[in-house]
Amino acid sequence: MKEITILVSRYDPAVDAEPHFEEYTVRVNEGARVLHALHAVHDEHDPTLAYRYCCGSGQCGSCAVRVDGKPVLACMEEARDGMTVEPLDLPVLKDLTVDMSPVIAKIARICPAPDAGLPSREEIEAIKPLRDCIECLCCVSACPALQVTEFAGPTVLRQEMRLALDPRDSGDRIGDAIEKGLFYCTTCKRCTEVCPKEIDVPGKAIEKLREIANRRGLTLPRHQEVARLVQETGRSVERTEATFLEQVPEVIEPDGPVRGEVGFFVGCMFNGRVPQTALDAMEVMKRNGIRVIVPHDQVCCGSPLIRTGQTSNVGDLKRKNIEAFASRGIKTVMTICAGCGATLKNDYETPFTVKDVTEVLTEYGIELPAKLDVRATYHDPCHLLRGQGISEQPRTILREAVREFVEMPSQCCGAGGGVRSGVPEEAKALGAKRDECVKATGADVVVTVCPFCEFHIADCTDVPVKNLTTILLEGYKKKDAEREGSA
Amino acid sequence: MVLYNAPTNKMLVDEIVDAHVLVIGSGGAGVRAAVEASRYGGVALVSKTIAGKGGCTTMAEGGYNAVLRDQDSIAVHREDTLSGGAYLNDPALVDALTLEAPERMADLVRWGAVFDVTQDRQVAQRPFGGQRFPRTCYAGDRTGHEMIMTLLDRLDATDTHLYQEVSVVDLVKDENGAVAGAVALDRDGDVVLFRADATVLATGGGTQAYDISTNSAAGTGDGFAMAYRAEAELIDMEMIQFHPTGAVYPYDARGRLVTEAVRGEGGILLNARRERFMERYDPERMELSTRDVVARAIATEVLEGRGTTRGGVYLDVTHLPRERIEARLPVMLEQFLAFGVDIRREPMEVAPTAHHIMGGLRITPECRTTIPGLFACGEVTGGVHGANRLGGNALADTQVFGKRAGEFAGKAPERSGRIDAARVDEVTRMLDAFFEGAINPADVRKDLKLTMWNQAGIFRNAPDLRTALGHVRRLADKRLCAASTANLLECCTIRNMCTTASLIVRCALLRPENRGAHVRLDAEIATDPATSPFGHTYVSLSREGIERREVPA
Repeated sequence: MKEITILVSRYDPAVDAEPHFEEYTVRVNEGARVLHALHAVHDEHDPTLAYRYCCGSGQCGSCAVRVDGKPVLACMEEARDGMTVEPLDLPVLKDLTVDMSPVIAKIARICPAPDAGLPSREEIEAIKPLRDCIECLCCVSACPALQVTEFAGPTVLRQEMRLALDPRDSGDRIGDAIEKGLFYCTTCKRCTEVCPKEIDVPGKAIEKLREIANRRGLTLPRHQEVARLVQETGRSVERTEATFLEQVPEVIEPDGPVRGEVGFFVGCMFNGRVPQTALDAMEVMKRNGIRVIVPHDQVCCGSPLIRTGQTSNVGDLKRKNIEAFASRGIKTVMTICAGCGATLKNDYETPFTVKDVTEVLTEYGIELPAKLDVRATYHDPCHLLRGQGISEQPRTILREAVREFVEMPSQCCGAGGGVRSGVPEEAKALGAKRDECVKATGADVVVTVCPFCEFHIADCTDVPVKNLTTILLEGYKKKDAEREGSA
Repeated sequence: MVLYNAPTNKMLVDEIVDAHVLVIGSGGAGVRAAVEASRYGGVALVSKTIAGKGGCTTMAEGGYNAVLRDQDSIAVHREDTLSGGAYLNDPALVDALTLEAPERMADLVRWGAVFDVTQDRQVAQRPFGGQRFPRTCYAGDRTGHEMIMTLLDRLDATDTHLYQEVSVVDLVKDENGAVAGAVALDRDGDVVLFRADATVLATGGGTQAYDISTNSAAGTGDGFAMAYRAEAELIDMEMIQFHPTGAVYPYDARGRLVTEAVRGEGGILLNARRERFMERYDPERMELSTRDVVARAIATEVLEGRGTTRGGVYLDVTHLPRERIEARLPVMLEQFLAFGVDIRREPMEVAPTAHHIMGGLRITPECRTTIPGLFACGEVTGGVHGANRLGGNALADTQVFGKRAGEFAGKAPERSGRIDAARVDEVTRMLDAFFEGAINPADVRKDLKLTMWNQAGIFRNAPDLRTALGHVRRLADKRLCAASTANLLECCTIRNMCTTASLIVRCALLRPENRGAHVRLDAEIATDPATSPFGHTYVSLSREGIERREVPA
């Protein structure tokens, strides 16, 4: 047995104006779950504590709560000393119980055709990954789109795809999915991260439903424009100035001895919209002895098309990009765009390794810059944090580059999944929430590693937003200036 | 509060609901019954949890037995079930089970269930213990969850009124003695009276009465207790299935089910000396012997000092291909990973856990109980599985008898009598008394569970059982305290658990032989299951005993 102290959110609508935390010290067994700590509160401190539970083994989805802010199943999450336990972000009935019924009512029921037979093995295998859902509503609690739109919720869209895959179903799943907010999802994958069954709703449901919508001509007009642009130019953004590729040679040699070599996948945003950031990154590479090979025949990675369901020409893009790097014998391809990186890593089968710039820099080790005299905060790009599982490397570098680093809560900025172009009011509302978080940190600068996030957050806050490599380069310049000053 | 029964101004209930058929319980049997009954009239389905989240169907992992192949036969399934049940089963119920299981499986498939299928587009089947043909249909290791999701889809297409997080406290009768509905509590502890022409009890099992149990928190035996109080007769309540493989640690997760599918897929049992000990207990069927045999084998290994330090044995699948474990046993993989064990690389530790109550309400094949107006289906009934249930027969039971109960309840005539007001009064008085009580229900629950595990567990004897009965009765008499109206339900639940426990112990004392899951270390009569002179034990408010039967020559 051990003793732990926990904070539990209490709220009785008959008495309380708003929820408040109560502290309880309870004795629990080694390995006890959050649920067992709640049992201890109920059995030994206050029997009126309201909380749901049933199977105790992660199968029924009754007991989801937020522990230290993250939605989890109380019966599976290990209890920790000092943890806070709150209800899901849904209307609270009492204490930790929430009203689940409005969301569950939105989850579509199958409408089997009268002559429906058994699906084939292939059909069953396609449905199964979407069938594990236990309707615990962790995803609904965590989804950013739900905070600012009428999005019905990740699991609701999951069910639409599960039904769309079933030959027995006779419903119009695409029409329903669009009505339930198919185009509101930013593909941030927060739902997958909190799902006890790890269901990849964006990849296996949202993007697939958008593909079917596309085949029926139901893609949003703004997304169709992007697809047309890629079709015509190989790029998803219009060029407004000299592109990155027009400004650099095929091989960029480092200043000093060669410590390493990478191919560079520039991506459409850095190539056409903000080439200076990519040029900054090249300077950082040169300074750190890394040779960069830049195939000029590379094209759009296809991410804006995959995320919006316009996949018919993506195969062609993939072939061109793989050929561009493979034909030059490149073993490691570096990205500085989180979206391109996640796409190359997750949607491609590449004969080379793909690494984000922060992985490359931390693996080789970098020359320390002079610390900039700023307080900086870091925005996790969804496609870096969840798309590539990278959170520590950029923080490690940033801590070396600024006077003070402050964390802010991680949440999607609203730019991804075609939302910035397709549903701009949603992107703006999520951007405004980012602005609130940024302001709360009191930071002088927001640092990130994704051009979409950078571009979008800059639109939503008056605090400067910069790429991590730009910060590094500024640090090197400051270091050089200080040396010259002292010389 | 609103007044009920204005002329007498007697009973205080907050809401009255009328239906042709009242179904109590939202597991596989209850939902199937409601689906069927809705063809005949208005149905109220009362669920003490959010529908789909309660009960044991949702948690059922391994599968559903049905004869689907030409090489298999109903006769073989029937014989497997009878022999597995130590010939204590009611043959007429087994006939219905085995004959109709395939039809009910076809219903589920037609309604959209995502069962695993073979390359040639048939429902896939895996081997389960005690069966001569691999006839257990499955959806990975979340078969019951798949079924309940499908059944709720189907229920939604009917006019059934679903009452969620409303818990029935007691049955009520009319002046003719027929069951006429039930009194229930909603989430806030307000009283709801349901009135119906026919009532279906589908409340599931109750092994939460034991310290180590696979049951969900809802498995508290409410139906056994309510039916007993309503003067129904129950049979074979001593027949508790201890599932051989429950988790051993961490402590709070002890008893959690490790599905038989693990052994069905090729998992082997090893003791602490790494001996494949089933060779000594059932060399022919090994790990896929019947559950009573495997559970006793594991318990014996542990008792004789060949168990692990944590009091279990090893269940090992590390010799199986990783992909097979990931595809066929994903829930097991996930659950053990959450507790720090990767079953692809290391063995699980398991020990027996109270899983299923084979006994229950005495029913006819039309699911009629011994009292008029009350039908029952699923785990709350007795007789289908005899003295030991085969893995995969419970899910089939829910569908076959759920459908039957729904059909015959639906066909029941309109009830003529008026509700017995005194009975409703009695229930509300009992509820009021909980506000005057002094004992923490949590303390009684803990005490009860330990008593049952220690004195009415796998290995039994008369002195222990008598001690247990005395103690359970003392616990049942404690004046429980409800801290708020919302806590009334907890008091009612503890009361039901105590009643269920006492029924189990009383029947265990009535059966002097070793039969299936029931082991009396002090048995003085050696019987062979097929020729045992003993039939069902029975217990009701008015009588108890053990049936004698003609011994086949």
